[in-house]
Amino acid sequence: MPKYAMVIDLQRCTGCGACSIACRNENNVSEGIYWSGNINETVGTFPHVRYHYIPTLCNHCEEAPCVRGCPTNAMYKKKNGITMHDPDKCIGCRFCMFNCPYGVISFNWKASHKFWRNQTPLIKGCTSSPAAEVKAVGGTGTPYYNPARAETLEGIRRKGVVEKCTFCDHLVQKGQLPHCVVACPSDARIFGDLENEKSKVRRLLGKFRPFRLKERLGTMPKVYYIRDFNPAAYQRDKGGV
Amino acid sequence: MTRRGFIQASAAAGVAAAVSAPWQPSLKALAAKGKKMGGSKGQWLPATCQGCTSWCASEVFVVNGRAVKTRGNARSKVNGAASCPKVHLALQQVYDPDRIKVPMKRTNPKKGRDQDPGFVPITWDEALDTIADKIMELRKNDETYKYMLMRGRYSYMRDILYAKMTKIIGSPNNISHSAICAEAEKFGSYYTEGYWGYRQYDVANSRYIILWAADPLSSNRQVSYYSSVWGDVMDRANIAVVDPRLSISAAKADEWLPIAPGQDGALAAAIAHVLLTQGLWYKDFVGDFKDGENRFKTGQEVNEEDFEEKFTSGLVKWWNLELKDKTPQWAAKLTGLPVEQIKRVAVAYGKAAPNCMSWVGPGNCMQTRGAYTALICHALNGLTGGVDNVGGTLVANKAYLSKFPSEKPFMDEMAKRGTKHKKIDQRGTLEFPALKKKPGKAVVTNRAAEGILEKKPNEIKVAIGYMNNFTFSCQQPDRWERALASIPFVAHITTNASEFSWYSDILLPDAHHMFEKWGYVKSAGNGYRQVPLLQPVIKPMWQSKIDETEIPYLIAEKLAQRGFPNLLDYCKTVEDPETGKAPKDEKEFALYCLKYTTQKLWDPAQYKGGDKFKGWEDFRQAGVWNSDPYPYRKRWGHMKTKTKMFEFYSETLKAVLEKHAEKYDVSVDKVMEVCKYQARGEMAFIPHYEEPYLVGDPKEFPFIHVDHKSRLNREGRSANCTWYFDFKDVDPGDERWKDVAKLNPIDAKTIGVKDGDRVRLVSPTGQLECIAKLWEGTRPGTVVKCFGQGHWVYGRVASKVFGKVPRGGNNNDLIPAEYDRLSGSSARNGVTRIRVEKL
Repeated sequence: MPKYAMVIDLQRCTGCGACSIACRNENNVSEGIYWSGNINETVGTFPHVRYHYIPTLCNHCEEAPCVRGCPTNAMYKKKNGITMHDPDKCIGCRFCMFNCPYGVISFNWKASHKFWRNQTPLIKGCTSSPAAEVKAVGGTGTPYYNPARAETLEGIRRKGVVEKCTFCDHLVQKGQLPHCVVACPSDARIFGDLENEKSKVRRLLGKFRPFRLKERLGTMPKVYYIRDFNPAAYQRDKGGV
Repeated sequence: MTRRGFIQASAAAGVAAAVSAPWQPSLKALAAKGKKMGGSKGQWLPATCQGCTSWCASEVFVVNGRAVKTRGNARSKVNGAASCPKVHLALQQVYDPDRIKVPMKRTNPKKGRDQDPGFVPITWDEALDTIADKIMELRKNDETYKYMLMRGRYSYMRDILYAKMTKIIGSPNNISHSAICAEAEKFGSYYTEGYWGYRQYDVANSRYIILWAADPLSSNRQVSYYSSVWGDVMDRANIAVVDPRLSISAAKADEWLPIAPGQDGALAAAIAHVLLTQGLWYKDFVGDFKDGENRFKTGQEVNEEDFEEKFTSGLVKWWNLELKDKTPQWAAKLTGLPVEQIKRVAVAYGKAAPNCMSWVGPGNCMQTRGAYTALICHALNGLTGGVDNVGGTLVANKAYLSKFPSEKPFMDEMAKRGTKHKKIDQRGTLEFPALKKKPGKAVVTNRAAEGILEKKPNEIKVAIGYMNNFTFSCQQPDRWERALASIPFVAHITTNASEFSWYSDILLPDAHHMFEKWGYVKSAGNGYRQVPLLQPVIKPMWQSKIDETEIPYLIAEKLAQRGFPNLLDYCKTVEDPETGKAPKDEKEFALYCLKYTTQKLWDPAQYKGGDKFKGWEDFRQAGVWNSDPYPYRKRWGHMKTKTKMFEFYSETLKAVLEKHAEKYDVSVDKVMEVCKYQARGEMAFIPHYEEPYLVGDPKEFPFIHVDHKSRLNREGRSANCTWYFDFKDVDPGDERWKDVAKLNPIDAKTIGVKDGDRVRLVSPTGQLECIAKLWEGTRPGTVVKCFGQGHWVYGRVASKVFGKVPRGGNNNDLIPAEYDRLSGSSARNGVTRIRVEKL
């Protein structure tokens, strides 16, 4: 049985957000909810300043606090290492959100895609409305609704349940890469099986000293980061007192 | 579905039937092959993204005739499978609920920002009849030159609507948007190496990269390609970014040089000074002193006789006239950069020669005196031999495209008379030299507003604009509001009711380029040229039609019905190269235009080079043609300049400037003076430093405004996409769902502004409101703000209250209508001083 992991090469990453937008798209994620996000930071004082960017997503922790805290087993680990959620079992208690140290689980306080439910045209008789647009093109919830998402999870999650990244399990089960990996223009995301000694992720994790977010908590995330966002050269000397 | 599967499936479904309903083949193919895909049945179809002018070859995943997602087209040798973030937003554009569905007309004859146009739906027939009547009225009165066509985003099908139709009607007034884009950049390469175009940058082979206010990881050009290789480029090259703002490219760079706005010419001069005094110029390209002894010594003139140039011209003159005193110490004072950093960058850059590049971005030359900044920054590529060389700056590879048939036989006497009138943008006047090969050959887009308002050279009575929004995208857009309001009849071909539409009488719903249009574009990068195809991959939304081909054909039919068949007769000459048939309707015309102009790419009988196809269908399914690889150094000694060499003393510029001066019987000095340049005498012909020209009194307006582009800007058209705002934090310093002015905390403290305060930015010509953001990535003394928001119409997301209140602020409201008059470009960077008022 494979154990899936993702390596994110920060030197390749340009912080463009294509992963996050593509994720929205692939998983029919509603406005304001981020399965894929970022931690960015501007460090230093002018003129010695740099900006750094770390893409974030569900870490698919081996010791997943979200799973441990779920009273109904709605949040569970699949054998392939993916942390998965079953909305049918979810009672919306949000313990998983409180337990997740990474803030990557979101709760559907309202019905999704509110924007697209609006029925008012901007210019009467001349423009459509969001709801009419969805209907006209045969979408579901949004005009660009991706039906493939519904193969393993509700295509659009209902009000009152949580949702989060699934490593695009619906694609992985068909032998395809998660969509954020496909969409990354820089090939900064590398996906694969930790059990397979020939996998790229395994090779990279042996070559570089990876770090994981909040490693000290012992959650054993399966998202690893290698190299630096800014590996800049600088002039050497010993500093001074 | 794999690519092979798709091609087989498409072929099986008989794709040749693509004319009348081009999206159908995909559906048939889907039925044949899609079953295995379960809920995701669908297929990847080739398309082109025109979100910026990278023009990446893309693909769209289509499920049951619905576009679901996008990716790069792996067949492209330019961008390959890579897609920058912008492309995904195209889905929210094509399915924008605020797209206009049908032709519309205004019912309120009064035009003004406070006047609701009172748009009502009309039929295509009524819309086209009205337009045709207006054109015929001009023809009846022999005033065809009072017709005007304004172009925005285009494909190379543009010739029909933009050029042929305008000329056959009989007007000189086809005005493109080019001069608000980045024409000043082209000035730099044209008057040194004879190339009027955007360069490609051979980053994969480069050892040192200087980016002059260029931000290739965010915007223009080849963002997808550069994003795909940058992680590897950083391993091989040192990267120095010159920009008052910490761009994402600067964030990942080895050196950030946060220069004072408009002082780039000083830094470039100092770098050139160091390269010469330290003997770091590339001798195989530039040549050397005859006796090998370096006589370039600070402050000392050099005898021209002592130096023997190889593939360049005028080096010693340049040194004597400009460079000999331009030390790093001199530049440090102007640029606000440390002497050590200037020297360090110059020496490391020179040591990397010839595999190094000086990358001129629009930010440092779309300025009032930007032509000379573009020249001096680009001239560094001559000193290092990086021009046309491995790891340096390249031109575009050859692409083999055919021109449309000539319009001349279809221009009657009236049309010939009409087209001889002067153009409405005032190009070629003493104050607007707009130089290319000849004076007055470049466009001065933003000046057309004055042309219209002043009726100089003449009035405009009938105007059509397509995919342009000059009332938003031009500086001082209120001038355009007045100009459009003064034209008796304006038609707008557009996807959304924009600021331009607000002043229009008829709106025509435009097809979206990426999903609904036939066309091709050309772009270059990675040492290749590509020609990606625009194809209708879905059924066009509502009643939209293709701007550049279908609509002029329909107008042509209406003109023919009114006794003026010339345009329709012309359209009939664009025959299907496969069948020899003339088009019988607008849909056939759109397709034939594309097949006609690309025949040499897909017809094996006419093959000239690059990718080879079996025929039209084969090409259409691939979606992109790639050129042969780049032939390095082929242009050395054969450049299209007067001397055939890379010119440090531009004989090419001298000839054209003197020609312009002669036309008005004045000296070149006088031309320089009226055009606001400081150069006098021979300085006008060489790359040199000019002080920045800033509007506004520093006491009243203490800050300098710094404009930049978002990595999510699909030009100015992303602002009705919710994803634009949900992910706006990918621009360093910016925040989700906000439009922020980024101030350095030192400055903010001085004026008592806190993070998150509402502020008003005020310039001598306008103002806007936004949110203050305290950010260390801003050079003190400047206020950095991203372009893209501030729409007061366009859609329900773009505007806060449609037709009334903008969401955020439009930078162009701050920027005065200034020009780099030699290139005709609009100045938009480092143009104006502003003040910040806390609200």
